Amino acid sequence: MSETPLDVVSISGVVKRFGDFTAIHDASLTVRRGEVHAIVGENGAGKSTLMNILYGLLPRDAGTIELFGRPVTFSGPAEAIAAGVGMVHQHFKLAPSFTVADNIILGSEPLAGYGRIDRARAERDTAAISRRFGLDLDPRAVVGALPVGLRQRVEILKTLYREAQILILDEPTAVLTPQETRELFATMRTLAESGHSIVFITHKLREVLAVSNRISVMRQGRIVATLDNEGVTAQEIAGLMVGRSVLLRVKKAKAEARDEVLLKVDGLEARGERGEAAVDGLSFAVRSGEIVGLAGVQGNGQDELVECIAGLRRPVAGSVEICGTKAVADPRRNRAAGLAYVPADRGGVGLSLASGIWENLTVGHIEEFGRGPFLAIKAARARAAELIRRFDVRGATLDKPAGSLSGGNQQKVQIARELTRDARLVIAEQPSQGVDIGAIESIHRTLVEMRDAGRAVFVVSADLDEIFSLSDRILVIYRGRIVADLVASETDPETVGRYMGGLEEAPPAAAASVSEAADHVH
Amino acid sequence: MSTEALDAAPSFPLAGLVKPLVQPLVAVAIAVLVGGLLVLALGENPIEVYSILVHGSLVGWPNFLVTLQMMSPLLFTGLAVAISFRAGLWNIGAEGQMIMGALAAGIVGYAVDLPTALHIPLALIAAFAGGLAWALLPALLRVWLNLNELVVCLMLNPIALLLSGYVSTHLLKAPGPTNKLPDIADTAALPTFSLYSQVNAGFVIGLVLCLVFAVVNGGTKKGFEWKIMGLNPRFAYYGGIRVPLQAVLVMMLSGGIAGLGGAEQVLGEYRAFYDNFSPGYGFDGIAVAMLANFHPVGVVLAAFLFGALNGGSAVLQMMTGLSKYLVQVLQFIIVLILAAQFSWAFLGSRRKAPPAHAAPAAPKEE
Ligand SMILES: Nc1ncnc2c1ncn2[C@@H]1O[C@H](COP(=O)(O)OP(=O)(O)OP(=O)(O)O)[C@@H](O)[C@H]1O
Ligand SMILES: [Mg+2]
Repeated sequence: MSETPLDVVSISGVVKRFGDFTAIHDASLTVRRGEVHAIVGENGAGKSTLMNILYGLLPRDAGTIELFGRPVTFSGPAEAIAAGVGMVHQHFKLAPSFTVADNIILGSEPLAGYGRIDRARAERDTAAISRRFGLDLDPRAVVGALPVGLRQRVEILKTLYREAQILILDEPTAVLTPQETRELFATMRTLAESGHSIVFITHKLREVLAVSNRISVMRQGRIVATLDNEGVTAQEIAGLMVGRSVLLRVKKAKAEARDEVLLKVDGLEARGERGEAAVDGLSFAVRSGEIVGLAGVQGNGQDELVECIAGLRRPVAGSVEICGTKAVADPRRNRAAGLAYVPADRGGVGLSLASGIWENLTVGHIEEFGRGPFLAIKAARARAAELIRRFDVRGATLDKPAGSLSGGNQQKVQIARELTRDARLVIAEQPSQGVDIGAIESIHRTLVEMRDAGRAVFVVSADLDEIFSLSDRILVIYRGRIVADLVASETDPETVGRYMGGLEEAPPAAAASVSEAADHVH
Repeated sequence: MSTEALDAAPSFPLAGLVKPLVQPLVAVAIAVLVGGLLVLALGENPIEVYSILVHGSLVGWPNFLVTLQMMSPLLFTGLAVAISFRAGLWNIGAEGQMIMGALAAGIVGYAVDLPTALHIPLALIAAFAGGLAWALLPALLRVWLNLNELVVCLMLNPIALLLSGYVSTHLLKAPGPTNKLPDIADTAALPTFSLYSQVNAGFVIGLVLCLVFAVVNGGTKKGFEWKIMGLNPRFAYYGGIRVPLQAVLVMMLSGGIAGLGGAEQVLGEYRAFYDNFSPGYGFDGIAVAMLANFHPVGVVLAAFLFGALNGGSAVLQMMTGLSKYLVQVLQFIIVLILAAQFSWAFLGSRRKAPPAHAAPAAPKEE
């Protein structure tokens, strides 16, 4: 990087409209050779849209894009790829039943004559390229069985296999554990040093400061500042993004847990997708007036656990009680018992992306608007409009499909719907997934308010910052078991991290006594 | 973001009325154009042909009444398909369900002795039950065993045809050369309105059903739940909608409505169950439902168009050297264009929306 900084990408005056809504106003941005360039901004600021334009997924309405000094207009990603631009979307687009090698060559397969695919060469190439970039991967592993971090690696290798010089990563860390995030950052640095340019979108300012050379801030469809990563602080960036100062950590009073148990899980066992024992005899309780965080590396049974509580999965053994009612494998009954649930899979489970926003806000509240067999549509729409304002869902109109909202604003829609249910137990999975710092602040504040109002809040998150910022008590799940039950104010991320990695296993008796102790504190 | 956009009322009621019409009208316009070229290639004058079609189906009472007669069965099968497709259930078995409904109506119509006030309702209920029963099997297999209802429905169509054939040519065959059941009693006959065509009270029933379902879809809890279910069943289930139960309910209603279409034919038009009576009304229903965008009022309009084409085609054959199948070609073109738009929109939604936002895989079609 000692050579003169060379702009490999230069975007200037780009405009993008969706109907009469302008998502990008006159945005300009340059990316240099060998740099990691972070793009930050509020939900709906236009980050994904701008990158989709660069990647040829969306046409632009005005402006120019130059690549390696030459003006380009891509009519599709294929052309962008050929020109050396690669993009990894937040939601991966791999074929889960194919192997790593198959996925990497898909679309540019090496042929062995008679149009047959040269499998051996595919595997050799995959092994070679993963060695070259220091990204360890077994070419024959089936992608569907890989953890998220490795799947992301496949996506990155896929772009490198097509010789991408410019790599766009859209919120790559939103789904990663801290360990996986560190590995990804190492990869990004290596790539930058070998002359690649990386555009990196994230909402986590700590990551921005840790890994990027330059930082661009987007606000309402404009790039409002591009800073060198020297001497800037998270607070300054946050201020530029939101236009006001933000609390990076929510203020909350000490918990006043009451004795009333609103969630009780007892000896729960459940099998995962591949029949393995994903939840393995697990017991805990959440009381009214407390926030309990469940920390754990993705894939240690937290998904299955929450699905059992929500009624989306049938446990093999054990029981779940919601507000004193025995839970069953039927979401409707568990909701009626007093459950509100924000799922992690918002596109598949938590929202209907093709349905209007008001419809998404009304599901789960149908009875409130029932007038005999009829639905009070006007009232439901009025409430939806109210929620859109209250939860600050940007770019929303009642009839717009939920899928046209930016990622973070989709999240706000499902949060708004669930947290306004009259339910005493709130389960939030990755509540601030893809949400900008301003909105995280308000979501966290809402969760704390719910706690203070005497509800029980159970937060499942891969983000330790979030767990520590919210929880009164922290449970750690490892291989389907609760290996630690800690008072948040008496522990630290390192300790929790060790439990998460299975490096330290509190003997069951000790864990129980910790939890006893926790009870006494409350 | 302007706050007016958040008004509880839809922002442009007029645009809301016009917009859904654009896509079907474009499809029809293209079909008319392509059909015109085809006629030209066959050495006829397209303008003349089209004016014969329009004349033959719309101008003058007799022609118009024939069109209404032709559209009657399509009101039922179109509505049946529309409500199931809207709920994400691919009931392509309306043909079989209609045949079973017709068979049930035909049997009750001749074998039971009752006053009119009871006989007609009983025969209609029998038809509804016949169609319902034929839709219940795919519904239950779907809900219990996760078998694709599309395949099961498709397989049940020929079975209905063969079964009704066996009943009407062997088991309960009327004496005489024709393969049919005995004529229904006068007490079971749906009244007709005119000498010019067989359009009968069944037409009114179909029309009323379409209007009823317009209200159900647009204003009731069930209608809302079905729509959500059709777009993302996993979300619907998570949100507390009883998806399996509603799926069975929708399939039963859909089958029952198709069955009533059979009653319209047997009790209103033919006055007996004839073997192999349907020229494929159940399949035309799929085209009608698609052209209608699964909207019940759209079904009325689309059924009218298809009815007019069918009605006009007989006149066309008489007046020109062209085969009446030309009209079917027109209908096929419409279906092809709609299907293409369908898959185009589907592909487009997968190509454009997901990268920026969620939806990795479309809700898994179970
Ligand atoms: N296909 C579309 N149709 C209509 N509006 C759209 C479409 N795609 C994006 N938008 C709007 O454009 C704006 C910018 O969206 P974009 O996805 O780029 O935001 P973002 O900065 O990536 O936000 P996030 O951090 O939440 O992912 C949003 O207001 C969004 O609602
Ligand atoms: Mg985005």
